[in-house]
Amino acid sequence: MTTGDILLSAKDIEYSYNSRIWGFKHLSYPVLKGVNFEVRRGETLGVVGRNGCGKSSLLRILNGVVAPTRGKLEHAPHISRILLTLGMGFDKSLSGRDNALLSAMLQGYTKKEARAALDNIKEFSELGDFFDRPVKTYSSGMRARLGFSTALMTDVDLLMIDETLSVGDQQFNKKAEKAMMEKINSEQTVVFVSHSGSQVNKVCSRALWLEDGVIKAEGETREVAKEYKHFMDSLSKKGGKSAWQ
Amino acid sequence: MSLKSDASKLYLSYLWWVLEPVLWVLMFYLVFTVLLGFGRDLLFLMCGKIPFLWFSKSVQSSSNSIVSGKSLINQANVPKQFFPYEQVHTVLYRQWLLFAVLFGMTIVYGYMPSLHWFWILPLFLVQYLLVLLCALAAAICVSYVRDTRILIGMAMMGLMFGSGIFWDLNRIEDPVKREMLVTWNPMAYLIDAYRQVLIEGTLYDLHHLMGLAGVLVVGLILVHLFYRYMGQSIAARVINS
Repeated sequence: MTTGDILLSAKDIEYSYNSRIWGFKHLSYPVLKGVNFEVRRGETLGVVGRNGCGKSSLLRILNGVVAPTRGKLEHAPHISRILLTLGMGFDKSLSGRDNALLSAMLQGYTKKEARAALDNIKEFSELGDFFDRPVKTYSSGMRARLGFSTALMTDVDLLMIDETLSVGDQQFNKKAEKAMMEKINSEQTVVFVSHSGSQVNKVCSRALWLEDGVIKAEGETREVAKEYKHFMDSLSKKGGKSAWQ
Repeated sequence: MSLKSDASKLYLSYLWWVLEPVLWVLMFYLVFTVLLGFGRDLLFLMCGKIPFLWFSKSVQSSSNSIVSGKSLINQANVPKQFFPYEQVHTVLYRQWLLFAVLFGMTIVYGYMPSLHWFWILPLFLVQYLLVLLCALAAAICVSYVRDTRILIGMAMMGLMFGSGIFWDLNRIEDPVKREMLVTWNPMAYLIDAYRQVLIEGTLYDLHHLMGLAGVLVVGLILVHLFYRYMGQSIAARVINS
């Protein structure tokens, strides 16, 4: 496959949250109300939107973790996808090395390939001796470094990032940002989700603005970010309601 | 991996794998043999308790496995059966040591190993299938309705009393009742079969074992189909609750 092929395409995706409040009482809340877009190989797509507009739900659907309530997600055959968020699924009693190994293998690496990637992960995360200590001994910043390095150093077809650019201290952030930019400029396909327009503007080539479960704007990042900023500014001036009201 | 993880949480770590079942058996011995005078020796109890612990530990640790894998499920579309499988094999791995203890005990009681002991192998295989089926099914139940975890705990307790661990199946006088127990509680049948091979030196009902294996294989196919087609539904239930 080459750059520009459609990797994922969302067709009329709707999603409602169905969660239990207590006893047998359920709450069904529509989050996405018909979303259409495509992700092409090699691009970096930004998704902006304020809290509660459906960004995380959208990521879960793109990731294949949950199925949309309605509509369809079409994807190229055999693509590996991973969602990178803060506080990834670590087993806290295992060492960072074992966790990285497990996580790489769940992304479809064989044990040999995963082992080969470990040295890169260790070096990039700069965890040093801590890499071989249990994750429960880590500080939260160290944990974030481990997660970020693991996801970044293993090759997946589609990398999804949920507002995690600020994972460490300034020095690590710079390095992470640089590595991200390298990934972005290479063949790596990235979907980057944030509530900050300027962050998206910094890294993405194309962007979507999600508001109230629909796409309000789509296209060049600068334009989308501008519209979004305009909307948010007017919201804070007029004191508008939150997305869920 | 989770073997390492489990072991590191406790002070005596690996020692507990053997210590726990041995303490169980000693407790049973104290209550049922010394106090109540059922007259059953340690070997008899071990033959029941060790296979039963394999079953109950696997099912109980698997039942919660999908729910506690939530953060991983949130991250990637992993096959959900991975979680119960991991638990079942973690427990299975420890069983080798326990069965070694059981065989050692059998020799101590003067039953020498012979080729006849190879009849244990089919029992292992069928019990493995049983454990796998129950573990996979329990994990689904708990991920849909958390409350079933309590029921599973109770069911394990009930099975412990109903599988003939500290009493002999063959002492049930009514043959109809006995037949019913063997048919509907595979653990009772398996425990009795282990004893027949190790202690009595006889052979268990082979037809029954084959029938049981057939039912288990069909059950396993069905439960795997469920995981195959309902994976995302399970994920949605686990994440949104």
